Amino acid sequence: MILEARNLMYSYSSKREKLVLKNVSASFEEGTFYAVVGASGSGKTTFLSLLAGLDAPVSGQILYHGEDIRKKGLNCHRRHNISLVFQNYNLIDYLTTEENVKLGGRKDVGELLCQVSIPKEDWKRNVLKLSGGQQQRVAIARALASEARVLLADEPTGNLDEETAAEIIELLKRTAHELGKCVIVVTHSKQLAKEADEILEMKEGKLRKQERSCLEVREG
Amino acid sequence: MNLFERAGRSCCRKPVRSLLLLLVVCLISLLFLSGMASRSANIGAKDSTRQAIGAGFLLEYNPVNRSQRIEEASEKISELYEDGQGSYGGVHQEKITVNGSENWSVYTDNSFESLKTEDIEKIAGTKGIADYNITTVPTAVKPADFERIEDADTDQTNDFQGVTLIGNRDMALDANVLSGNVTLKEGRMTTKEDANVCVISEELAEKNGLEVGDRMRFHPLKEEEPVQEAEIVGIYQVQEPMQPYMSGDTFRSENVIFTDLDFPAKAEQDDPLYEKAYFKVADVDDYETVKDSIRKTDMEWEWYDLIDNNGNLDTMASNFNDLEKISNTLLTVVAGAGFVILFLIFIFWIRNRTNEIGILMSIGIAKGKILLQILTETVLIGGLAIALSFLIAPAVSNAAAHYLTGQQEQQAGVQEEMDAGKIATDYQAPELTVTDVETKITPEMLLTDGAAVTGLIAVSTCASSILIFRRKPKDILSEMS
Repeated sequence: MILEARNLMYSYSSKREKLVLKNVSASFEEGTFYAVVGASGSGKTTFLSLLAGLDAPVSGQILYHGEDIRKKGLNCHRRHNISLVFQNYNLIDYLTTEENVKLGGRKDVGELLCQVSIPKEDWKRNVLKLSGGQQQRVAIARALASEARVLLADEPTGNLDEETAAEIIELLKRTAHELGKCVIVVTHSKQLAKEADEILEMKEGKLRKQERSCLEVREG
Repeated sequence: MNLFERAGRSCCRKPVRSLLLLLVVCLISLLFLSGMASRSANIGAKDSTRQAIGAGFLLEYNPVNRSQRIEEASEKISELYEDGQGSYGGVHQEKITVNGSENWSVYTDNSFESLKTEDIEKIAGTKGIADYNITTVPTAVKPADFERIEDADTDQTNDFQGVTLIGNRDMALDANVLSGNVTLKEGRMTTKEDANVCVISEELAEKNGLEVGDRMRFHPLKEEEPVQEAEIVGIYQVQEPMQPYMSGDTFRSENVIFTDLDFPAKAEQDDPLYEKAYFKVADVDDYETVKDSIRKTDMEWEWYDLIDNNGNLDTMASNFNDLEKISNTLLTVVAGAGFVILFLIFIFWIRNRTNEIGILMSIGIAKGKILLQILTETVLIGGLAIALSFLIAPAVSNAAAHYLTGQQEQQAGVQEEMDAGKIATDYQAPELTVTDVETKITPEMLLTDGAAVTGLIAVSTCASSILIFRRKPKDILSEMS
C-alpha cells in the first residue's frame, strides 16, 4: 500500500457545520489505476486535494508508505510523493513545452515527450501554442518527470474531445501498468472510469468501492 | 529548472510587463536622484556662501543695566562728596535751582556711554575671531565749507543744521556695508590705519562738486572753532536710504559721512563715543564655539549685550533653505508615491501570476522559493532601471535644479517688489539671490539611490505578495479553475 486515507473528515468552515467528507477511508496500491466518481459537489476534488497535500483534513490522516504526510510537511509530500494533472492543464505560460516538463524535476525530458507523442518541433515552442490535447499530454509528461510514485489527476479529460480523451486515458493506463505508478483520477467521465482498475464512488461525503458491473448496469 | 532560470525567462518572455516595471522604477529612481542631487547642491552652495558672507557678534551696552549703573554711580558720588555734588565714572550729579526749588541733575558724558576699549580688545583676542570693528555713535557736526542735502519742504527749525559723522575702525565691517546696503562708487573705504579721512555719499559729492582727494572741513555744533579737516577717500552709494538716527536733515541718509574711528570725537571736541563693536568669526562653522569662548572672557558682562550678528547669513541661507525644503519634500513625496505606485503595480503583477504561483505550489515548490523568484525578477528589472536612471540622471537632475532655482528666483523677485521703497535697517539683507545651482551625481548618491529603490521594490513585492501567499494552495487552484 503506497497511499492511505484514514478516517478523513473535512469541512469548508472551521465549525464543522457541514462536513464535505465524513470519515472517509481508502487505500491505494502502486501499479493500479483508480477512478473516483460521483456527482458534482460530492467531495471528489476535495478528497483529491487532501491526498495531494494541497489542504489538510479537519481530522484523520493521509499516510504515504505508512507515514503521516504532515510529518515531513505537505510541501515535501507534493514535491516528492505525488504529481498532479489538472483539467485546465496548468502549464506555465512563459515556458516552452520542454521547460514545462522539466519543472517536474528531470533534466532530460526528450524520452518523456516522445512517450506522450509531442512532436520534436513543438518542444521549443511556447506551450500555449499547442492544442488542448497536446497541452494535457505535456501536463502528464510533467507529472511523469517527477520521481513521485503517485499520479493524481482531476478531470484530465474534461476539456478534451472524445478521441483525444481516449489517448489521454491510454496514457494514464500505461503510466499505472507499465511504469508501475499509482494513478488516481477524479472524473465524471464514464469512458475514463470504465478503463480504471478500481472505481470508487463518492456519495454524500462517503467513499465506497463500486463494482465495474454497477457502472455497466447504470450505463445500460 | 531553478528559480533563477525561471526568473530570467519570465523577465524576457513577458516584455510588456517587464518594460512597464522598468519604466516606473527608472522614473522613481530618477526622481530620487534628482532630489538628492538638488539637495546636495543646495547644501554645498549654502556652505560655501556661509563662509563667503561670514558671520559675527555685535557688542552693545545693555540699556537696562545702564540705569542701574547710573544709580550706583550716584550713590558713590553721595558717599564721596559731602554735599552730594560731584562726578564718578562719567556720571555727574549737581544741585540745580529751578524757580526757587532745589532739584538734582544727573547726567553722563561720553566716557560713561562709550564701550570700553579694553573690553573690546579682550573679545577681539578670543580664538576664532578673525577681525573686529568699532563704530561710533552717529555724531552731529556742522559743515564748515560745504553744503549739506536738505529737503526744501521740511521745517529745519529744530534741526542741528549739521551732518552726521560715523567713525569706523574698519569701514568694511560697518553694519551698512556688511548688509550690502552701502557700496563704494569710487575710491576706497576707511581703514584702521587711517586718520582724518572720510567717505561721503554720491549725492553730497555731486551737490558740492567734491571728488576723491578733496578735503572737507567740520566744526562742532555749538562753536565755530576748532575746524577739523578730513580728506575724501571714497564716495559711496546706497541701495535703500539708511534709517535716520534722529529726525531732521542732519541725520538723513545722504548727509551721513563715514570717517576713521577717531575723527568724530575730534570734530565734536569731546571724548570718543563708541556705540557698538563687531567681531567677525573666522570660520562660520565654529560660530557657537567662538560664542562660548567670548562668554568666558573676564569682563563685566552685565553691562553688555552680545548679539548674534548673522542676519545676512540667515537671509542668504533662507534662500537655500527654501530650495532644500523643496528638495526634501520632493524626496519624501517620491518615496511615498513610489511605494504606493510600486505596491499597486505589484498587486496587479502578483494577481496576474496567481495561476503560476498555484502551479508552482502544486508541484511542491515552497512559497519562499516562489517569492524569491518574483523578488529576483523585480530586482533584476529594478537593477536595470536603476542603471538606466544613473545614465540619464545628470541631465534630469540639472533640469530639476534649474526648475527649482527658477521657481525660487521668481519668488525672490516677488519679495523684492514687495520690499521696494522701504527704509534700510541696520542689518538689511544683501541682494544675493540663488540664480542657479550646479548639481553633481556622486557615487554615494548612486549607492543611496540604488539601496533605497531596491529596498522599496523588495518591500512592495513582499507586501503585495502577502495577499496571495497567505492563502492555501487549494484555494489558489480553485480560483484558477
